[in-house]
Amino acid sequence: MKYKLEEIDRIAREILKRSKSKVILFDAPMGAGKTTLIKSVCRELGVEGEITSPTFSIVNQHSGRENKIYHFDLYRIENTNQLFDIGFEDYLENDAFCLIEWPEISISLLSDYQKVKINILDPETREITFIN
Amino acid sequence: MDTQISYILAIESSCDDTSCAVLKNDRVLSNVVAGQEIHTKYGGVVPELASRAHQSNIVPVVDQALKQAGISKENLTAIAFTRGPGLMGSLLVGSSFAKSLSLALNIPLIDVHHMHGHILAHFINEDQKTPDFPFLGVTISGGHTQIVKVTDYHEMEVIGTTQDDAIGEAFDKSGKVLGLGYPAGPQIDKLAQEGDPKKFPFPVPKAPDLNYSFSGFKTAVLYFIQREVKKDPDFVEKNLKDICASIQYTLIKILFQKVEKAVKQTGIKSVAIGGGVSANSGIRAQLLSYKNKGWNVFIPPFQYTTDNAAMIGISGYFKYLEGNFAGMEVTASPRIEM
Repeated sequence: MKYKLEEIDRIAREILKRSKSKVILFDAPMGAGKTTLIKSVCRELGVEGEITSPTFSIVNQHSGRENKIYHFDLYRIENTNQLFDIGFEDYLENDAFCLIEWPEISISLLSDYQKVKINILDPETREITFIN
Repeated sequence: MDTQISYILAIESSCDDTSCAVLKNDRVLSNVVAGQEIHTKYGGVVPELASRAHQSNIVPVVDQALKQAGISKENLTAIAFTRGPGLMGSLLVGSSFAKSLSLALNIPLIDVHHMHGHILAHFINEDQKTPDFPFLGVTISGGHTQIVKVTDYHEMEVIGTTQDDAIGEAFDKSGKVLGLGYPAGPQIDKLAQEGDPKKFPFPVPKAPDLNYSFSGFKTAVLYFIQREVKKDPDFVEKNLKDICASIQYTLIKILFQKVEKAVKQTGIKSVAIGGGVSANSGIRAQLLSYKNKGWNVFIPPFQYTTDNAAMIGISGYFKYLEGNFAGMEVTASPRIEM
């Protein structure tokens, strides 16, 4: 599915509709707009207030209409030991959405997830694919 | 109460580092910071959402802070801790420890907002000049970019904040594009010293009012580098210093554009910066240059700019003077308003 920035809310709805898990991995290069897309997904889930990048904090917690949402950015995480140190698997046991940027390092710890790949087609256009 | 001597032990565990400080009134006796790489063998039951590194660090860090201060825990007057914002698991370790210690020693517990800490760090007494109220606190780090109107020790209002990435993240991710390791901020700063800041013009992202946006900047740097590397594979290598200088120049411009606007809007000409990114030499130089415009500017010592417990201690001290204590029902809170 191709999209431009102004269509992002439609894409966010599509992700929530098609995802087979509450754990959603966003696999994309830098500058693809992961945080921007996740922001829109959070809004769709009813999050109000500030949603900023969790690169430094690693995980930001939000409350949606019905669920808690954990917005992860594993950019700074170097190995699975560090994931254990932040209590990563404890977040997964909740009935919460886990939206994960730079997810590669966490995949071995996940049993159930939906992967969404974002490709940069040109500076204005992105394409998402659902990978099962 | 002013004439009394208080010893406050402060704990900060909001993100990466576990830190403990002991203050005698407004002076720091010790300030120990343990990064998460310092591991001790850990065993035992792990509570839900626990941050294991903080758990294994907190006892030795507190112990060391007391030893360095030359104080035994029976001498303590109060315990201060970071209530939020931050990583839930990490905050829980600090808050549970602080509560237990205050209960065991039967002394007051004081909850502190992490961002208040960054601003009140300016009042850690090292015989320097401190800002008069009101002033503008500008907190810049890997996780924050905020302009705060500070009316007194307890009253603060965020008048501008980032809507996406923090300025430290803009430094680090631009550095990543250039192949510099994490954190790239200090390396960009170093390389920028010898570069031409106006060689490559980068766009200044638009954000409403006094707010910031940095995510578009990172993308602009990325596209620029990709485009140039296509033409010349050695582009980054040949121009590294100029690229770094241009990145730093633009980020400083973005930062101070809004600070200038805030000064104009509020009429407050005292500006105090804090947070890890305030170590950047370009930002320091730029801030100091505003002295010519009649601003009063304040930069805290480096050890109090990054996350540390001394700043939580000084914030706790001002609450202590007011008798503003927390009850045992206080809980860690990953998202709290200032």
